[in-house]
Amino acid sequence: MLFNSIDFAIFLPIVFGLYWFVAANNLRLQNLLIVVASYIFYGWWDWRFLSLILFSTLVDYSVGLGLLKQVNPTKRKLLLWTSILINLGFLGVFKYYNFFLDNFITAFSFFGTDIQATSLNIILPVGISFYTFQTLSYSIDVYNRRLAATKDFIAFSAFVSFFPQLVAGPIERATQLLPQFYTRRIFDYGKAVDGLRQILWGLFKKIVIADNCARYANLIFDHSESYSGSTLVLGAVFFAFQIYGDFSGYSDIAIGTSRLFGFDLMRNFNFPYFSRDIAEFWRRWHISLSTWFRDYLYIPLGGNRGDIWSKVRNIMIIFIVSGFWHGANWTFIAWGGLNALFFVPLMLTKNNRTNMDTVAQGKLLPSLKEASMMMLTFSMTTFAWIFFRAENMGHAASYISTIFSRSLFSAPHFADAMLAIPTMILTIFFIAMEWIGRDGQYAIQHLNRRPKTLSWPFYYLIGGLIFVFAGSSQQFIYFQF
Amino acid sequence: MNKFLNRLCIFILPVLIAGAFMDTWISANLRKSNSHASKEYPTWNAILDGKLDADVLIYGSSRAWVHIDPSIVEDSLGLSTFNLGIDGHTFDMQYLRHLLALKNNPKPKLIIHSLDIGTLQRSNLYNPDQFLPYMLWDEAFYDKLSKYEGYSYFDYKIPLIRYYGKYDAIKTAIKMRLSRTDDAGRVRGYQARDQSWNADFENAKMAMEGYKAISDSLTERLFDSYLSECKADGICVILVYSPYYIEGQEFIENQSEVIDMYKRFARKYDLLFLDFTKDEICFDKKYFYNASHMNRSGAELFTRKLCSQILLHRGTTACKWQ
Repeated sequence: MLFNSIDFAIFLPIVFGLYWFVAANNLRLQNLLIVVASYIFYGWWDWRFLSLILFSTLVDYSVGLGLLKQVNPTKRKLLLWTSILINLGFLGVFKYYNFFLDNFITAFSFFGTDIQATSLNIILPVGISFYTFQTLSYSIDVYNRRLAATKDFIAFSAFVSFFPQLVAGPIERATQLLPQFYTRRIFDYGKAVDGLRQILWGLFKKIVIADNCARYANLIFDHSESYSGSTLVLGAVFFAFQIYGDFSGYSDIAIGTSRLFGFDLMRNFNFPYFSRDIAEFWRRWHISLSTWFRDYLYIPLGGNRGDIWSKVRNIMIIFIVSGFWHGANWTFIAWGGLNALFFVPLMLTKNNRTNMDTVAQGKLLPSLKEASMMMLTFSMTTFAWIFFRAENMGHAASYISTIFSRSLFSAPHFADAMLAIPTMILTIFFIAMEWIGRDGQYAIQHLNRRPKTLSWPFYYLIGGLIFVFAGSSQQFIYFQF
Repeated sequence: MNKFLNRLCIFILPVLIAGAFMDTWISANLRKSNSHASKEYPTWNAILDGKLDADVLIYGSSRAWVHIDPSIVEDSLGLSTFNLGIDGHTFDMQYLRHLLALKNNPKPKLIIHSLDIGTLQRSNLYNPDQFLPYMLWDEAFYDKLSKYEGYSYFDYKIPLIRYYGKYDAIKTAIKMRLSRTDDAGRVRGYQARDQSWNADFENAKMAMEGYKAISDSLTERLFDSYLSECKADGICVILVYSPYYIEGQEFIENQSEVIDMYKRFARKYDLLFLDFTKDEICFDKKYFYNASHMNRSGAELFTRKLCSQILLHRGTTACKWQ
């Protein structure tokens, strides 16, 4: 079920009503309702894959109980590896099997050996990378005794399948989300209103910004051989806003929806395009995944301890694995590797923690230096997005080589270019709103401090813009991961 | 919770009220446009407002729309004429126009039904914007359109929902309200095309090579019952297969089978069937702008030929239309 569908517009009030009116005084019933609602939500897309979620839930619940009882370190480690292998096994089969197979065949044929192997016609279950990582975090945290294993199967099932963030995150830590299922939720007016406000802004980002930018990004990327370098730059910028609007919009709707049910999810985006360097960008982009890799991969690898080569190695590993997490394609690995290359110089010069505050805090506009740094960071990020969006490495290479040709200095032109003007104006409006609200959790959060005579017309305006400028519905990009 | 729900209701109520008014406003202004939605609004308006004022109705797809000039038919047959050709749609949607035309207008004496290779096929909901101003709470539109993918149940039942994301339609409605002028539309449903041969043929060549028309059995049955209803109502129907550029005909594997099927319908109901697929117009590219559509000069020449054939064969079938 898509957040931006009429199905969800009906589903959400029904679940909300049942949750607060029928199950309000019974914590267990509330959790059970969340599980049922979540399975309906997921099954709406493809009910067959509900068995995967259920199996993953059973495995990690059992592993958790085993870890609770077991004191023998070897057996505890065995239990942990059972969870890791099963969860990563799912990912391996559904997401990476064909990739590895194709690459092995290519590698062997390079050395003159032909291998006959059959690739599988596999449908990638929506959100498998998200809920797999979430359940893994539970097993690892229980193993490390950061969290007590739960005996409440319904609460654990609700934690794994919680519908607002099931298919595209934020990837919650068990330590943060699971305890919320143990405590009674009491309806909080302020929280619910804030949730609705964040949903509204998330819908605007997704429906107006991402879906409209997608139209032009797709047009330009899909026919990149026909366009000039300047047009391809514009295409990459459209994609930069598409992916930001799409993914951060989803996160806003997920967080807002959770707040309607009394839950607090972790923040996933913190105005990343206002970053002054790549390190800051990665502290602000897809925070739940970055911190997951930091806690469960980077730190166990040694983090920033050790000699320079160890540090560089750890950074390269974490970025490349992060790229590979997104999909079984060399383009994602290149995207991760490129970001690592951007990041390493900052780390080596000890400048990776320079910009920890909000840019131009308390000021209306950034200084020239800050603006230049933001532009440079945005350009580097957008350049890396080309690999992320390209169909394959050849496509990325030809796209980039056209950008760096003489046609870069011609005026951008593409079919229906005039129709893109409203999208550009809306994107400028969006950037302005994000800039004004960059101190908040999301851009329009500050409206809670404004009188209704000011805030309500603004909500109507946003609603009106969504209504009029809704782009043709596109699936959320991160569903494929 | 009560406070939350009360505030939510207070917030949403103006949206619902404004939504209903905005729906009426957008629809009323949008339907004034002659150009939006491939210029289909003037024809729908004439049908629904009972302003066809025609003894002869021309049915069919875009090939009817751009091939048969009502003014020439009027001059030749001495009967007022309106062209109800609907771009991109097959008989299923042509039948909706027929039903609504009968419901809102006096019965015609004669229907000239333009047929082609796809008439009895199933199409998708092409050019869906053409239905926007009319489809809310209208059972005839709901019954027909809901069989197609494109609009949801709520689009037919809740005001304004169907205008969601229809930026161009809303912009047109505002433009019509402000300027009240628009491009010249179709003349009594007909649209002459002042175009010369274009590259469409080369594209069609690639797309249509070895094309085989497979008719839809439901549409076939609907066509049969339509002919039967017309006969019962005393409406004469003339079936016409208008010219098709000869090289284009060669791509269609089973054109003769399709024409034979139309002949069988004509025989069953004792109707006149006029086949122009071997007419000399088909051999001259200057009369076409692509393989299946004639330009103005082709359409005018064809309409004259059609009328003379109709006059020539008058009285040869059971149907009496004058």
